[in-house]
Amino acid sequence: MAYPHGELLRSPSVWQPVSAEEAWRLKREIGTGASFVAGGTLLRTQWEAGLAPYPAHMIDLTGVAELSGCGPVDEEDGGWRIGAITTLAQCRSHAGLFAAYPLIMEAARTIAAPAVRNLATIGGNALSRTGDMATALLALDSELLWQNDAGTVLEPLSDWLDRERAGLSGAPGLLIAILLPAACRMPITPNARRRCAFHKVGRREAFIPPVVNVALNVELDGDGAVADIRISAGGGTMIPARLAAAEALVRGRLPDAALLEELHAVVMGEYAPMPDPLVGEDYRRMTAANLAAAALWQASGAGGRGPGEGEKPCC
Amino acid sequence: MLLNRETSGGRWRIRPDGTGKVTGKLAYLTDLSLPNMLIGRVLRSPHPHAYIRRIDVSKALAMPGVHAALTAKDVPGLNRFGIARPDYPVFCEDRVRFIGDAVAAVGAETAELAELALAAIEVEYEPLPVVDDPERAILDDAPLLYPEGNVFHRNEFKFGDIEAGFAAAAHIVEETYSTPRQMHTYMETEGGLFVPGEDGRLTAYSPTQHGFMDRMQLSRILAKPEAEIRVVSSPIGGSFGGKDELNVQPYGALLALATGRPVKLHNSRWESVRAGLKRHPMKIRMKTGVDADGRLVAHRAYVVADKGPYSTLGAEVLNFATEHVVGPYRYGAVDVDTVSAYTNNGMSGEFRGFGGNQAIFALEGQLDRLAALLGMDPWELRRRNLRQAEDPGPLGQPISVTGGAGQVWESLAGSALWGRRSDPALRSSSTAPWLLCGIGSAYVMHGAGLGVGIPDPAGGRLELRADGKIEAAFGYEEFGQGLIASLTQMLVEMFGFAERDIVVTIGDTDVVPDSGSTTASRATSMMWQSLRRMRGPFGGKLLEAASVALGKPADALALGEGGIRAAENGRLLMNYASLAASLAASSAQPIRTQTRFSYPTSPVDRVGAHYMYSYAAVAVEVEVNTLTGRVRVTDQYHAVAAGPVINPQGYLGQIEGGSSMALGFALTEDAVMDGGHYVTKNLDTYLVPTIVEQSGGVTVDAIEELPEGDEHGPRGIGELGSVGLAPAIAEAVYQATGKRVSKLPIDPALLQERFRFD
Repeated sequence: MAYPHGELLRSPSVWQPVSAEEAWRLKREIGTGASFVAGGTLLRTQWEAGLAPYPAHMIDLTGVAELSGCGPVDEEDGGWRIGAITTLAQCRSHAGLFAAYPLIMEAARTIAAPAVRNLATIGGNALSRTGDMATALLALDSELLWQNDAGTVLEPLSDWLDRERAGLSGAPGLLIAILLPAACRMPITPNARRRCAFHKVGRREAFIPPVVNVALNVELDGDGAVADIRISAGGGTMIPARLAAAEALVRGRLPDAALLEELHAVVMGEYAPMPDPLVGEDYRRMTAANLAAAALWQASGAGGRGPGEGEKPCC
Repeated sequence: MLLNRETSGGRWRIRPDGTGKVTGKLAYLTDLSLPNMLIGRVLRSPHPHAYIRRIDVSKALAMPGVHAALTAKDVPGLNRFGIARPDYPVFCEDRVRFIGDAVAAVGAETAELAELALAAIEVEYEPLPVVDDPERAILDDAPLLYPEGNVFHRNEFKFGDIEAGFAAAAHIVEETYSTPRQMHTYMETEGGLFVPGEDGRLTAYSPTQHGFMDRMQLSRILAKPEAEIRVVSSPIGGSFGGKDELNVQPYGALLALATGRPVKLHNSRWESVRAGLKRHPMKIRMKTGVDADGRLVAHRAYVVADKGPYSTLGAEVLNFATEHVVGPYRYGAVDVDTVSAYTNNGMSGEFRGFGGNQAIFALEGQLDRLAALLGMDPWELRRRNLRQAEDPGPLGQPISVTGGAGQVWESLAGSALWGRRSDPALRSSSTAPWLLCGIGSAYVMHGAGLGVGIPDPAGGRLELRADGKIEAAFGYEEFGQGLIASLTQMLVEMFGFAERDIVVTIGDTDVVPDSGSTTASRATSMMWQSLRRMRGPFGGKLLEAASVALGKPADALALGEGGIRAAENGRLLMNYASLAASLAASSAQPIRTQTRFSYPTSPVDRVGAHYMYSYAAVAVEVEVNTLTGRVRVTDQYHAVAAGPVINPQGYLGQIEGGSSMALGFALTEDAVMDGGHYVTKNLDTYLVPTIVEQSGGVTVDAIEELPEGDEHGPRGIGELGSVGLAPAIAEAVYQATGKRVSKLPIDPALLQERFRFD
C-alpha cells in the first residue's frame, strides 16, 4: 500500500564509506539530512527524545579505517593516537593506554554501562561535550585531528571547546583521532611523581551523566611542590574547561593546608556550572571545589582511597 | 534461620519459569504479535488541566491505513474505570485533569502511521489553573478539579487525652516528613494484544494483577457480557501494584472491536512515565511525646497525600497509612488525621507497601529523634513501646496472634551488623577522612490482605487431568515474584508430588477460578490455605480411585512422586497417567477439588483494618561521602517474622527486591513534577538503583516460628521488604553525620560539607 506519508515513513539510507575523505564528502553532498553514526548510543536517545531529527541518511563510520586504532604515534614522539571510533570498552581495557594515560581508563570506566560502552566511542563521547571524556582529555592537553575540505587539520581540544562555549558551534569536520602528547604520558620510572585522578559525581552511582566531573594531572618536584598541573572540570550541560586560575594558584607551590584552602576558594569561584532543574548550583560548585582540592591533597600525600569512591588504581 | 542457599539445602529449587526468563526465551504478553494486527496508540492531553472545546478525528480517519480513531462517544458502555470507584475516564469528554488523560485512540497498520494519525487529530483545549500542591489544593481558595471540592478522602483515628499526654511528656519531637513520587519501573511497560474472535468473543492478552477484575471492568466499558471476554494476564514483566488498575486494556479492546482486527498496544517508557501510576507522595507532620522512661505518651500525625485526579485505590492507601502511622507501638493517646487531595499532578495509585512506606518512614524517624533526646539506645526505646503478642492491632482491632514483634526485635539486637555500632573502625580513615560511616535500624509491622469491608475472596482448584498431570489452577498472576515456583514447591512438599507431575495454570479467566487479586501480600498465604483445605479431599479422592483400580485398601496407599505408592515401602504401584486412564475407562467422575473462602479479617467495623501482620526489623550500614554528600549502603540485615518459608528463593527475592525498591525510595527515585508536567520523563533522569547501589551485603533472618495451633500459616512478605530500609538509612546517616533526614530521596546537598585541610 502506498502511503501519502511515504517519505516520513521510509527507513533511512545508510552509507558506508571506507575512508575519512569519502565520509566527509558524503556529509558535504547530502548536507543537514545526513548524520555520522558510529556507536549511535547518544544519538538514539536524542532521536527518541526529539532533541535531534531522525536522519534520512546515516553515514556509518565503523568501516572507516583511519578512525580506528589506538597506540603510540611513533617510537620517537612518545605521544599516542586514539582513533575516534575506539570504543569506551576498548579504552577501559587497553593495557598500554592504561599505563601511558590512566586518566582515559578512569574516565571510561565511569561512563554509562557495559553494554553501552561496547558500542559508544571515545570520539562520540568527547564531541558530545557534556560526557566525561572531554574533561579527562582536557587535563591531558589532547588535540583533535579533523577531516574537512582542507584535508586533515589538527587543533587543541581546548580551542574547539572554547569555540563551542562562545557559541561558534559545529564540528569543523569529521573527527579522525584524538592525539595525546608525550608530555602528559605517565613516566615509566617507578619513583616518578606524576599523579592523576578522575572524579565523577552523578545523581546515581553508575550509568549516569556527570553532575560534576574533575580531572587532575599533576607533577610534583622533589620537594613536593607542584611542578606542573592541569585541572579540568565539567558536568551537567556545561562545556568542560580547564581551571586556569586554580592551576596558576598552585603552580610552583607546596600544596599545604593553607594552599589547599585557597585552591578550594578559587575553584568555587572559577567553576561555572549551567542551570539544571534537578541539581542546585551551589552544590555543584562545592562538589567541584571539594573534589579538586581533595584530589590534590591526596596526590601530594600518602595516596590511598580517592575522594569519589573505591580504589583509584591510577593514583 | 539465616536464609540463604546453604541453609535452604534441598529446598533451594530452580524456578520452573527461571530458564525462560534468564535466556530471554520466554515470551511475555507484550511480545505477542499476529499477522493481521493493527497498532494502537492513545492521544493524551498536553495540558495538566483544561476544558476540551472540540475534538476532530476526521483527518486521522481519512488517512489510508488508519482503521479507527475513537473518542468518548465511541464507548458503548461505561466510559470510566477504577477498581474501587470507577471515575477514571477511558476518554475524557469535556475536561482533562492530568497530562496522562486520554482523549482519543487510533488503530493503524504501522506504529509510524499510528503516530502520524495521532498528530492529525485536532483537539481544542481551554487551559485551566493547575492545582499542583496537595496542601494548597484543599484550601478554600484553590481552583477546583471537581464541584464537590478537592478533598478526595479523609480518615482519622483517635483515642486518649492527647493534650494531657503532651503536657506530661518529658520530650516532644515535631517533624514534617516528605516522600517521593516513586515509580514502579517494571521492566515490561504496559501493553497487550487484543484479539476479536469469530465467535464474537474478545481476548485481551494483557498483564494485570486480577484478571477477573479486568474482565468485569472491560465488560462494563464495552457493554459486553463477561462471558464474552477472556483475559489472559500472565506472565508479567513486573507490576508492584502498577498494573492492578486497567491501563491500555480499554483502548485495545475498543479498537479491536471497532476494527474487527487484532490490536497491539505497548507503551513506550515515556508514555508509561506520563500515564502510569506512581506511589502517592505524602507529607506527614508528626508530634510525638515520651515520658522520662521512654514511654510514648502522645502521638499526633497529620498526613496529606497527593492523589492526582482520579480515585484508583487512593482511599485504601490512605486508610493503610492511617493504620501504619500508628504502627507497632503502644501509646497513651493518639490523634491521627489523614487526607488525600485531588491535584492535576501525575496519577497516584497502589504500590508495593501501599502507604506503609511513607507512614513508617515518618514514624520510625520520630522514634529515632526521641531516642536521641532521651539519650537512649534507639532499639531499646522501641522495645519499651512495642505491642505485645496479645495486644490489639494499631486501630485497636483484634489481630492474629504471633510472637513476631518480639522475635524480630531480638534478632536484630543480636545481629553482627547491629553489634558493629560500637566498633571504632567504623570511624573514617586517615586517607579519606571525608567518608563517614553509620548504622541505623527500623521496625516494621505490615498488614496483609485487603482489610475489613473489602471483598477479599480466595480459592483454587486441583484436578487430575486426563493426561495424568496434577493441575493446580489459581486466579493469581506471575509477575516475577516467583508465584509458580512457590505453588509448585507447596504441591511437592504438601502432597509428595514430583515437579514433573504438576501443571500450574494461572492467568486466564477462561480456565482458572477467581482466587481474588494478586496484591496486598496475599497470594502465597491464600495458596497455602487453599492447598491445606484441598489436601484431604483431593488426596482422599486420588487414593480412593487408586484403591478401586488396584484392589488394595486406600490406607495402604500413599501419594508420591510419579504416582500412587505403597504406604509401607514407597514402591510405585501406579503412575498418575494410569490412574487417570483407569478413571476414564470406568467412566468415573474426573477427580477435581475446588475451594473458595475469604482472606481472614478482624471482627471490627472499621474499613481496611488488617488482621494478619508480618513483622520486620532492618539494620543498615551506610557510608556518607561528605565531599559529595552521597550515601552508599554497605550492609543490610533484615529480620523477618512471617511464618513458614514456603520457597526460600522467593522469600529472599522478595526481601532483597523490596529493599532495593526502598533503596531507590531513599536515595535516587523521584518522579519530579513542575506545574503538572513531569520533569523526569524517562529512565535517564528517573533513577532506579543499579547493581552498584546494591553492591553491599544483604543478610536475611527468616523467623518461621508461629504460636502452637496457628491456623493461618505463612504471612505475607511481598511488601514487607520495601518498607523498613528507608528509615533505617535515615538514622544511619544521622549516626554518620549528625544530620537528620526528613525528606526522601536524600538530597546530597544536605550532607555535603566544605572540606577542611587542617
